[in-house]
Amino acid sequence: MSAILLFAYPVLAILFCLFITSRRRMDLLIVLHALLHSGLGIHAFVNRGSLLSMDDLGLFIYLILSVLYSAIAFYRLGSQDSSAIKDYRIHTMFLMIFVMAMDGATIAKDLGLIWIFVEATTISSAMLISYSNRKSSLEAAWKYLFICSVGIALAFAGILLLVIAQAGEATLLISRIDVSKLSPFWLKISFVFILIGFGTKIGLAPLHFWLPDAHSEAPAPISALLSGALLNIALIPILRVDKLMQQSGMAALAKELYLLMGFISVFIAAVFVLKTKDYKRLLAYSSVENMGLIMIAFGAGGMAHYAAYLHILGHSLIKAAFFLTAGNALLIYQDKNHENIRGMLSTNKTSAWLWLLSSVMIIGLPPSPLFTSKFLIATALLSNGSYLLFGLLMLLLAIISWGIIRIGLSMCLGESERKKSLSMWVYLAPAGLLLIAAMIGIFLPILD
Amino acid sequence: MMEFLVVVFGLSLLWASVTNMLGTIIKILVFQGVILFAITLLKTTQLNWISFSFIALETLIFKAILIPWFIDDTIKHNRIRREVEASVSNFFSLALMSLIFVLSFALSASAPVWTAEVSPLEFGIAFATILKGIFIIIANKKLITHLMGYLIMENGIFLLSLSAGSHLPYIVSLGVSLDLMLSVLIAVLFIKRIRSTFDDAESPHSLKEE
Repeated sequence: MSAILLFAYPVLAILFCLFITSRRRMDLLIVLHALLHSGLGIHAFVNRGSLLSMDDLGLFIYLILSVLYSAIAFYRLGSQDSSAIKDYRIHTMFLMIFVMAMDGATIAKDLGLIWIFVEATTISSAMLISYSNRKSSLEAAWKYLFICSVGIALAFAGILLLVIAQAGEATLLISRIDVSKLSPFWLKISFVFILIGFGTKIGLAPLHFWLPDAHSEAPAPISALLSGALLNIALIPILRVDKLMQQSGMAALAKELYLLMGFISVFIAAVFVLKTKDYKRLLAYSSVENMGLIMIAFGAGGMAHYAAYLHILGHSLIKAAFFLTAGNALLIYQDKNHENIRGMLSTNKTSAWLWLLSSVMIIGLPPSPLFTSKFLIATALLSNGSYLLFGLLMLLLAIISWGIIRIGLSMCLGESERKKSLSMWVYLAPAGLLLIAAMIGIFLPILD
Repeated sequence: MMEFLVVVFGLSLLWASVTNMLGTIIKILVFQGVILFAITLLKTTQLNWISFSFIALETLIFKAILIPWFIDDTIKHNRIRREVEASVSNFFSLALMSLIFVLSFALSASAPVWTAEVSPLEFGIAFATILKGIFIIIANKKLITHLMGYLIMENGIFLLSLSAGSHLPYIVSLGVSLDLMLSVLIAVLFIKRIRSTFDDAESPHSLKEE
């Protein structure tokens, strides 16, 4: 029943969109969708196993999506949009399709179905990225579509290899796959393809090229969803296949690959955080870094396995808040170059404080939940005896933190004559997300 | 017969390595589409007739006719220079292709078990095609050649999915949805008319960083 609601509402709302001409009503449709989404999520949380018997991993990612979607639904109420009503309608419709595709990926258990839904998220979100119709955003959308298509094709090759790995009758329903009959040889190759393929979509280096452009060109609420929700969605298939790797006794190989991709990502992020002048690109590179950290956490194993999930949660909330705040900065200055922005504290105090808070929390100072997760990752690396990796990671993280804080301070401090106020919603949405993240950081679930 | 077709398909990859002309690559795409159609015909026994006719039509109409025609049309309309300016020489490209073949067959030869439906030959060629497609994407700068690289890679995946299809029939239809993705890619180019992507000048917004 709840599953029917989850998909029927957006389908009806999309049809309804075709007949309405008021922006407010379209915004309202999105808010209702977000509330319904959250409501069903809470219902599924209380009655585990409802909502098409979603498992814990799916539910976890689904709930993060619920929170972010609600935040951006309210944020949109306050963002000033001057585009034509026709474009706005298409944007609204594709936003709902995008969320539906992500829901599908969290609920599906069949790897083939998950793959289809991830493919659908690519197509629908490309429409959202190219929204402003500027040359640069069209090119970003093209780059995103193309690189992710290549990734998705490679992931499909991986899925085919998983089919070949099963002698005789094959299935893609992970829980039904008989591990004892899996050929380890083919499983290994299949896993590499799936990791690289979906890794492209997660934004792991060296296949992250699409990410900075797409996140920088998309409107703020979409960047928030891309970074906070979509990257997690692409993690789902990898984690599901990871289970097969563990059951077949090849967890060590998987971990090495995670560590490798994770470290390359953090390294690339550290290099480009120092280079970039566009503050939305800065946040995008920070996403590459955090996704890399999540992979490192899975690679380090042990205690860090818990840290990985905590990091997914914390990063999603804080990064979404950060992107929404970046949207505020863009509303105020109409400029994405951080060097042209000074004295945000006197121009718009609330946005400046949100920016500073987001900066502090994304680099992982308490009460950010990222503090705990990074601490656990570091501990796990040390207890594994990987001192060199630990040292390298600390160095890279220090560089990235410096880059983020430096730009944050230079944008917020200084003198400025300008004054500009924005709607209440654009403060409430990011503030709410940061508050939730801080609460999680303070009242952290007790480790067992 | 099947082996013969697969080998000819593999030879088309060598052909692709020695050409610099966009027109020739389009011919190769048509050629590959027709061979895939023929291979699908030979697989009739393994698929039910609905999915069979769907896939057969898809390979013939989509892969062998529509897409090559569209790319040809685009090249004509945008007066793109007909020569590919690859960043590597033909000799290197051919040597690398041979290396790709060696690697792919080494992989399929070292596989412990082969079921009756998936043959090492088919797998080797399909795998080599996928790698070749990726190589074309990496080695070229123009978006139109990127698209062609993607098409060749997709043909390889299609061949692989035909092999795996006997284990799990619906996987072949899933693979066809990749073509849907491709249609979207092309539609974006076509409708939005990203002019710069067709410019003869090297696109500054190629797939490289900043």
